[in-house]
Amino acid sequence: MNNKSFSSMVSPPAPPVHIEALEGQVAMRMTAHLNLGAESLPHDITERLRFGRERALARAQQLRQATAAVTSPQVVGLSGRSAVLGNPPSLWLRLASALPLIVLVAGLVLIQQHHDLEQIVAAAEIDSALLADELPPAAYGDPGFSEFLRSVDAP
Amino acid sequence: MASDKELSDFLKSVEKRAFKRTVYAVRDEDGALDVVQDAMIRLAEKYADRPAAELPLLFQRILSNATMDWFRRLKVRNSVLQNMSDFDVDAGEGDFDLLESLESADGMLGAESAADTVSRTQILLAIESEVAELPARQREAFLLRYWEELDVAETASVMGCSEGSVKTHCSRAVHALAKALRTKGIAP
Repeated sequence: MNNKSFSSMVSPPAPPVHIEALEGQVAMRMTAHLNLGAESLPHDITERLRFGRERALARAQQLRQATAAVTSPQVVGLSGRSAVLGNPPSLWLRLASALPLIVLVAGLVLIQQHHDLEQIVAAAEIDSALLADELPPAAYGDPGFSEFLRSVDAP
Repeated sequence: MASDKELSDFLKSVEKRAFKRTVYAVRDEDGALDVVQDAMIRLAEKYADRPAAELPLLFQRILSNATMDWFRRLKVRNSVLQNMSDFDVDAGEGDFDLLESLESADGMLGAESAADTVSRTQILLAIESEVAELPARQREAFLLRYWEELDVAETASVMGCSEGSVKTHCSRAVHALAKALRTKGIAP
């Protein structure tokens, strides 16, 4: 095969415009016949196509509903923020929203300090009472004295 | 965004041609039904939010991909390589006169009788048979361009090739079909 014949087979010259129009006419005649064939499909085929179409539509509806369910809370949240706090919220509003938390922490710290102070005062009262008593504190560690106290308390 | 009705109407309008086109490609009705259903579901799942005007091109592209997937699955299942000779170029079309074919077709037009109806059915079967025999790329280009009525650029987009290739495939397909039908004594 010489070069000329090879190149003419690989890259044929582009057809002129009137040839394209002619080809279009012939092709349209053929596809008109094909249309008739497509419209006269057997009943079972058309039913299976209908079933497939309905499945596809049901899937599309399912996805749309799922998408709507996911996006709707975001819309409410966004609209709520823009209606109440503005968009974006200012520094003062952010601080104000943190105020209840600050008050709560401060209150817990105060309660803890008050509780510690009460414990210290109570311990000091006990210590001062022991030290001010005539009985020395070491007596409470003596087993004989403990036995004496139990016999006194007993009727 | 296409409404449910627009999507339904579109699928209804395109499903029969899609089925026939897929039958020509896969040569199996059950397989073609699977492919078309798969394509419809893919369109509904991924592109139902697109405008209705975009659906035809998207669907043709999805259908082509679904058909290719079917062949891949078949290849895996059968462990047989697909014969790529469909991509070969037919030679020897130079002496065929397309205009002559068109003129003889004009002569056949007229009032339809019962014999004409039988003849029309035979013509349809002959055309379907010849379309099925076309090389795959030529058949795809021919059906997308002239049956689905996509323009050259859209056909090229669906087929993933240049517009020049589409024109060449279409031209060769029309010539091959007209020649084959004339050989059978049928003017398209």
